Amino acid sequence: MTWRRWLQVILLLTPGLGLIVALIGTVVYIAIVQSFGLYNLTGESLLSAEHWAGVLERRAYGRAVRYSLYIGILSALFSVALAYPLALWLRKPFTGSVAVGAILKAPLLVHGLVAAFLFINVIAYHGVLNQFMQWIGLWEGPRRLQNDSNAIGVLILQTWKNMPFALLILTGAVQGISDDVLDAARDLGAGSMARFRKVIAPLTISAMQAALVIIFIGAVADFSFQVIAGPTNRQSMAQLMVFYKDGGRWHDAAVVGVSLMVVALVGSALLAFAARFILSGRRFR
Amino acid sequence: MLKKLALASAALTASISLAFAGDLENKSWDEIVAQAKEEGQVAWYVWYLRDDLRNAVKPFEEEYGIKVTIPEGTNQGNQDKLLAERDREEGDIDVMALGYDAMASKDMEALFMDLSGYLPKDDDRVGSLVGIDPKGRALAFWGNQTGIAYDPAKVDASALPQTPTEFAEFWASNPGKFGFNFEKGGSGPSFHSNVMRNLSDVDFSSPDSSPEKLAKLKPGIEFFNEHGENYVITASNADSIIRVSDGELWMVPAWEDHLAGLQKRGEVRSDIKFYIPAMGMSGGGNGVSIPNNARNKAAALVFINWLTSADTQSAFNRDFGTAPMHGKADDSYALVSNDQRAHRVDPAKDPFYKELKDHFIENVILNR
Repeated sequence: MTWRRWLQVILLLTPGLGLIVALIGTVVYIAIVQSFGLYNLTGESLLSAEHWAGVLERRAYGRAVRYSLYIGILSALFSVALAYPLALWLRKPFTGSVAVGAILKAPLLVHGLVAAFLFINVIAYHGVLNQFMQWIGLWEGPRRLQNDSNAIGVLILQTWKNMPFALLILTGAVQGISDDVLDAARDLGAGSMARFRKVIAPLTISAMQAALVIIFIGAVADFSFQVIAGPTNRQSMAQLMVFYKDGGRWHDAAVVGVSLMVVALVGSALLAFAARFILSGRRFR
Repeated sequence: MLKKLALASAALTASISLAFAGDLENKSWDEIVAQAKEEGQVAWYVWYLRDDLRNAVKPFEEEYGIKVTIPEGTNQGNQDKLLAERDREEGDIDVMALGYDAMASKDMEALFMDLSGYLPKDDDRVGSLVGIDPKGRALAFWGNQTGIAYDPAKVDASALPQTPTEFAEFWASNPGKFGFNFEKGGSGPSFHSNVMRNLSDVDFSSPDSSPEKLAKLKPGIEFFNEHGENYVITASNADSIIRVSDGELWMVPAWEDHLAGLQKRGEVRSDIKFYIPAMGMSGGGNGVSIPNNARNKAAALVFINWLTSADTQSAFNRDFGTAPMHGKADDSYALVSNDQRAHRVDPAKDPFYKELKDHFIENVILNR
């Protein structure tokens, strides 16, 4: 292409892409330079790497990165793993399938904070779950389930909230596979597992990657579930960032913010790569 | 006709610019009140109990005909807004509520106007609090106190733990029944910092911080690590109180006014009691200030005069359980007796307090 042609393409892209680049770009730029001591809101701006050095050597930081990755990866995997069988079940319309699909997607309409508080009420010390377990005689006394240290509560909430999203994406992809293809596989002697592994999975891999990546990015940056239902002996990266910000330490908060962006970017790329590598028969296409 | 219009608009512009200049110098209090009524409104940025405070300011609105607007917003959000707007000619904030602990890290003189000289003289008002002198830029309107909320059905009121050692004994004999938060609210940090103050040889009255000073907190840190199995970490101030009310926990640090407010609204059991242990727990307060670029300065002054008066402070004690911030106010509705108030201590000051909280997270919370 000549430079004129390039210019034309760039000009055509500017109204849409330009706006996105400008909006995201300024935010990312400010976060990065703030993490290096500039854009000081309360004092003098001074270019320095001391904020990075200071935050990186804190145990809270390393623990937050590991914890956020744990929540991000497991939430994405659980959501997609649950959504796949449901998407296959709903592939062909049957009586009531629209209603079932609508009910399954209901969590999309419930705000995360509302869900978290409802969940806390259910698992509270004298909540419904504890009372039920005692009533059926499985537990002798109430158990403390809130803010468990393995973040099982957060994983349940994340999966509950994100599974419908994965289902939405995967249903479309699964419905896009024609009956002929599946019938042909059946004719060639493929059982249900082989049909999933060799036909359905490779054909829906892009949708699955999209679901994995989008859920991962949301869950890795989780704040609301974590502050309400998460463990109290560790902080997620978003929580740590807000903790620093609330203490007026904007530069430290920016360091965590930039790290969060890097973790989300690198993590989602690795997750997408791994999914393709595993599901497309160990070939990278 | 044209001449008349031009004259009228010139007069209007002149009167508006005069009003906007907010020139209050050399005005008597009556003139300030008159100007306030002309301004007709005041925006009060306060971050808590906004619904209740909207009701609480109704007597002021009726008396002066000045409408008080309390916008939604968080403590940090309001402070961010104050900073973001400070170079604007006119900001949205007429009256800013700030915790005294937050004032310590703010350049009060650069941000707020000097209130002394404008308000009618009243020596019973409180300017300096918890060792912080806002230099005439703020007056206290809300006194609060941290202490321990407990369930009298489970804990013997005659044998309440008073010292760190007694707390450790309580934890050991009742494991998992005492909880405190380390973030989202200052009640838990008040508890852990005061335990450390008792156990360590460190000067808490000085804001200076250094690695050596933090290292001296070691006995306190070890105390919490040693007994780590026996206490619970809660998610926030509110979470602590709710779990006591629910019967899960028996004892938690809490704010006196927070507990009183929740009890008054029926959200927490009314039989939950509150005390200040003899080892001392932090008390503080919130003040009000007028930003230099406030739009309705006269109305803001009249509002602050009303808010910090003895009558309003008595009403706040009755309705919110606050410690009154006026010498002549009635404090008979408080949750704790006056002899317990003697256990109030000043909170540690930033930057030392911030680093202490960080130190606690790094060395206690992350070890759990």
